[in-house]
Amino acid sequence: MDIYEKLAILSDSAKYDVSCSSSGAESNFQKGMIGCNHQSGICHTFTEDGRCVSLLKVLFTNFCIYDCSYCVNRASNDLKRAAFSPRELAELTINFYKRNYIEGLFLSSGIIENEDKTMQLLIRALEILRFEYHFNGYVHLKLIPGASERLIEKACSLATRVSSNLELPSSKSLMLLAPNKTQKALMQPLKLARDITLEKSSTPIPMSTQLIIGATPESDFDILKLSSNLYQKALLKRVYYSAYIPANDDKNLPALSTVPPTAREHRLYQADWLLRFYGFSYGEILQRRKNLDLDFDPKMIWALDHMELFPVEVNHVDKEFLIRVPGIGIRGAHKILKARRFQPLNFEGLKKLGISLKRAKYFITIGGKFFGEKHYYPDQIKRTLLKPVKRGFHQPSLFESYYPAMNGEL
Amino acid sequence: MSTYLYDGSFEGFLSVVYYSYRYKVNVTKIIKNPKDIDLLDEVVEIQTNSARAQKVYMRIVQKFQKRYVEKILQVFLCDTRDFEKALYAYIVLGFRDQRVLENINHPTIYAIEKLVSEYFRHLHKMYGFIRFVELEDGLLYAKLEGKFNLLPYLGKHFVKRLDGYDFILHDTQRALAYVQNKEEGSIHMISDFEEPTYAPSEAKFQKLWKTFFRSVLVQERKNLKLQQSWVPLHYRKYMTEFR
Repeated sequence: MDIYEKLAILSDSAKYDVSCSSSGAESNFQKGMIGCNHQSGICHTFTEDGRCVSLLKVLFTNFCIYDCSYCVNRASNDLKRAAFSPRELAELTINFYKRNYIEGLFLSSGIIENEDKTMQLLIRALEILRFEYHFNGYVHLKLIPGASERLIEKACSLATRVSSNLELPSSKSLMLLAPNKTQKALMQPLKLARDITLEKSSTPIPMSTQLIIGATPESDFDILKLSSNLYQKALLKRVYYSAYIPANDDKNLPALSTVPPTAREHRLYQADWLLRFYGFSYGEILQRRKNLDLDFDPKMIWALDHMELFPVEVNHVDKEFLIRVPGIGIRGAHKILKARRFQPLNFEGLKKLGISLKRAKYFITIGGKFFGEKHYYPDQIKRTLLKPVKRGFHQPSLFESYYPAMNGEL
Repeated sequence: MSTYLYDGSFEGFLSVVYYSYRYKVNVTKIIKNPKDIDLLDEVVEIQTNSARAQKVYMRIVQKFQKRYVEKILQVFLCDTRDFEKALYAYIVLGFRDQRVLENINHPTIYAIEKLVSEYFRHLHKMYGFIRFVELEDGLLYAKLEGKFNLLPYLGKHFVKRLDGYDFILHDTQRALAYVQNKEEGSIHMISDFEEPTYAPSEAKFQKLWKTFFRSVLVQERKNLKLQQSWVPLHYRKYMTEFR
């Protein structure tokens, strides 16, 4: 098998892993080394599905001894299998990096022989990359649950960020779909990595995980509660949500014709942001419901449920509450805070700052004046926002009607 | 009211600033292209004078905080826009009172801030979209085109990443190139140039990259419109995977 085919197979198998960001890693320029992280992350290209490509995301191998029913690479699936050699992979990474195709490497793997053997191969590839090619860029490594502590420690010292996928939001679902895995076993490498790195420095190595959405019956409340707990225990920096794309036909899984619940995935990400950056708790986001609303973002829903707190005066309200106003994000709030130091803001001023007032206007007063429509009831606001945009009338031109006859398009 | 004509260089622009302070005139229209002269304009042609420009620049560096100096330089790199009037007003404002430069409500500050953020948006995209090719002597070479002059910042960015490598960033539109040669970087005019010969392994890695790019597509989520909003067509000219 040539390297082209290998790369095609092993990147194809890895693509369902959504995590692909290189952001949040601090700039780490070192003389004599190739590569330097960029704080905000860099997207190097976008695929035809509109997703950012930042890292060379591949599996080391798609051979796997396990048979998890949701996974494309499960042992019982009949598909082409391949494996890189550690050197091949390191060479590929450094050459892609040199040409500015990528920010770094995202390496995951199926389990070949056993956990320790797999982990050793991954570590070998990273060692070549770091010590022979002097690569200093971003490397994200998937820890293999069940690998020994010594290997996990080594992996943490080589990678910029590590992760381990929890896959499914509850132990019950795991038992059903991945009988060989338990939540405890999946959590183990994360806990180990946290404790090992905490011994050496005050902040643990940044970690992330992925949850599959829509393959099992958990509600958004369960999912957000899990994420929130993981953030609080300093276990994770980020949780990724991946709308389930049917890959296998299995009696325990949704039918193959199921459309991926991308809208739900999107709302979950929004809620996740509220947890991490906006000071919301999961109980606040989903107070009286089990699932997130698909028509409106979670912050909007929260505000509509708490109309008694609004409207607030944009020129006086403190930052903590300003970011809770629908339509105003962290960036917008900063701009407002900076601008209002000089003079009180008016409607035009806000627009000039680039604050979208489409939703915000129902929840704020600007210089004491309310700019939303007359009515101030949640249902009415919802209806106005959902109303389709009116199109202008179309004036048919004199000759337009002849065209169908001319080109035969009737 | 007069129109001031300068030669388009940074020194030329600073000479205009010098002139306005020296002769106490308020400059309202500055142009760099003689074609932009209106019929009824009274034109004052400002000769570029390095010594005077240097004087103004030193004053700016003394008086302005570092980040404002940076902004002035960045705005000047937005060379496809008519930024002169706003930039002149910005400098005058700054000399009068530094604190005003933070007031985003001020029309001049707003215009400058907007241009600077546009510059950085463009720059950030290019950080990702630049594509190097390896030449036969190991040199990394990239061609680019863009609405603003990004070379100084791109150079700084890639020096950090490709430490120990010599590389060239070639802006084909402006006929300028950033050349990193043995630990030293500089910007040069490129008057004529020949297509270089690639390293023997170059074709292999380009093909591998294209293979990767194709195989990471999730067919179920295909959305070409979204892709195009992230990578507008004008960026794609030199990107390996779109060629």
